[in-house]
Amino acid sequence: MFDRDIWAEIFHSIKKNKLRTFLTGFSVAWGIFILVLLLASVNGMKNGFTSQFNDDATNSISIWPSVTTMAYDGFEANRAIQFTNKDIEYIKGNFKDEVEYITPRFRKGVTAKYKKETGSYQVRAVSPSHQYIEKTLIQSGRFLNDNDINNKLKVVVIGRKIEEDLFEDEDPLGKTLIVNNSTFRIIGVFTDEGNDREERYLYIPVTTMQRLYSNTDDISQILLTYNPKYNFAEAISFSETLEIVLKRRHRIHPDDQGAIYLNNNAEGFSDVTNFTNMLNYISVGVGLLILLAGIIGIGNILVFIIKERTKEIGIRKALGARPSQIINLVILESVFITTISGFGGMLFAMGLIGLVGPNIKSDAFANPSVELSTIIIATIILVVAGVIAGLIPAIKAAKVRPIVALNSD
Amino acid sequence: MIKIENLHKSYPMGKESLHVLKGLNLHIKEGEFVSIMGSSGSGKSTLLNIVGLLDIHDEGNYYLNGQLIEDLDEKKAAVLRNKFLGFVFQSFNLISYKTALENVALPLYYKGVGRKERQKIALEYLEKVGLKKWASHLPNELSGGQKQRVAIARALVTQPKVVLADEPTGALDSTTSNSVMEMLKEINREGMTVFVITHEEEIAEETDRIVRLKDGVIISDELTNKKVSV
Repeated sequence: MFDRDIWAEIFHSIKKNKLRTFLTGFSVAWGIFILVLLLASVNGMKNGFTSQFNDDATNSISIWPSVTTMAYDGFEANRAIQFTNKDIEYIKGNFKDEVEYITPRFRKGVTAKYKKETGSYQVRAVSPSHQYIEKTLIQSGRFLNDNDINNKLKVVVIGRKIEEDLFEDEDPLGKTLIVNNSTFRIIGVFTDEGNDREERYLYIPVTTMQRLYSNTDDISQILLTYNPKYNFAEAISFSETLEIVLKRRHRIHPDDQGAIYLNNNAEGFSDVTNFTNMLNYISVGVGLLILLAGIIGIGNILVFIIKERTKEIGIRKALGARPSQIINLVILESVFITTISGFGGMLFAMGLIGLVGPNIKSDAFANPSVELSTIIIATIILVVAGVIAGLIPAIKAAKVRPIVALNSD
Repeated sequence: MIKIENLHKSYPMGKESLHVLKGLNLHIKEGEFVSIMGSSGSGKSTLLNIVGLLDIHDEGNYYLNGQLIEDLDEKKAAVLRNKFLGFVFQSFNLISYKTALENVALPLYYKGVGRKERQKIALEYLEKVGLKKWASHLPNELSGGQKQRVAIARALVTQPKVVLADEPTGALDSTTSNSVMEMLKEINREGMTVFVITHEEEIAEETDRIVRLKDGVIISDELTNKKVSV
């Protein structure tokens, strides 16, 4: 295989058919180019989707109540369901192993004022666990703690954007913020990986908000994360159990689809994974089909070359060339052309990705890249393709009978 | 060296079959210089192809160097050709993109001889046919006679038992023909068995023994008077 003479022959044959070799090599290069580009693009989409989901914990479930759609247990339909702090305690108590973090949440639009600056924002009334579920990052100070909740303290954690809006050069920590005419002490500033909107929230203890505005223990939403060790099936099974239990607790018909909404992030994430996997399969399929055209092209040119060289092959056989030596020669030539041109296509595609990739700014597309596995697989495909393309011409060449070949002038 | 007993060969021609060789018996001893004479269609080329292991006979026995040739597949034939036979063709059959030296070295390549060794031996044989200076030339830079001399060097380079020459002078003028025949004679004098196929009387006359073939049978087999019988 590493015989210098064989390579000399291959180079000669390539040199003799420069244009044809180039054209067929080009078709293989084109096939690989498109394959790599498609795979990199799918990769980019996958990265884009994943980074959007990364804003929240991927093992999170959110639950919010609505209005019953079916009569049940003596209640008529259209009954509004209301969650309270007791629901949180109930879930905490009954799903110790299943639940990682849990928090109530409700929102309220407010006006916040510091000195002469004012702005309209949303307050999120939550408990300390919310920090881990929403993946809130503390920039300075601290997030809410149990003491704030238990004592219903008037403290607030503000988003980075609010700090920018209301505090020019001042450090907001410890300052007093007026929220809807009540005074709150700022205990922390946070950032969030999501987007700017996430950084325009105020976090206030849920108990404080309940006392100030409704004097009930009503909440509008429950957020929780389940045991991070759960796989997809376990996650889905857990959210189904949770739904059944909550329906029983609030006397909702088991088949009522409207009374409680439960959104398991795992489902969305799994949908995205399925989607990008499918795209991956499609692009591999399309790429391989394009490559197939190249392979057929190379097979074609080699058959022609063999035909041209029939006499020469006959001479070689008369001089003692074994059929396997002839087959080797043809297949090596084919593998050589496919591999070289394939790598050319691959390098070109990777260059293009490296050049254009970082300049693409889109939420749905980030950091397109070619994985090492793709390169290895493509290389294997190329070598196999070369062998396949060379096989028919090689067998044809080996079948050349020396007398026929020698008489062919 | 070559022993043929009741050799038959026919080619299918549509539904019919053409009976080309009809029971040949021939014995060529080591060191002989034999020519096969016959007009086209006499079966002489078929005989050469069978003797040269380029084709298979239908019936009868063929012994090459004492070995019965049977069940011949391509691989076996290739090895035997490489080991025992050297070919000289009417149309030279040099490989056009290889230099004279590379052409001569090619059988050694198939024999498995290393590159350096190959080139050394090939150069020796080119020197022997008087073309050492032309070693790096391509065939199309050589004259007809020179090409045939390269071909002869190529036939000899593996030190075969028999040199088979198919109309070796068919494409040459009379002067170069003579020099090529002189060369074959020279090889024969050194002990090589030489087997020439020709339809030219003058060429056959140069050999020691003439076997005449007509319609697939041997019609005469005689020593030429030029050389005193051994």
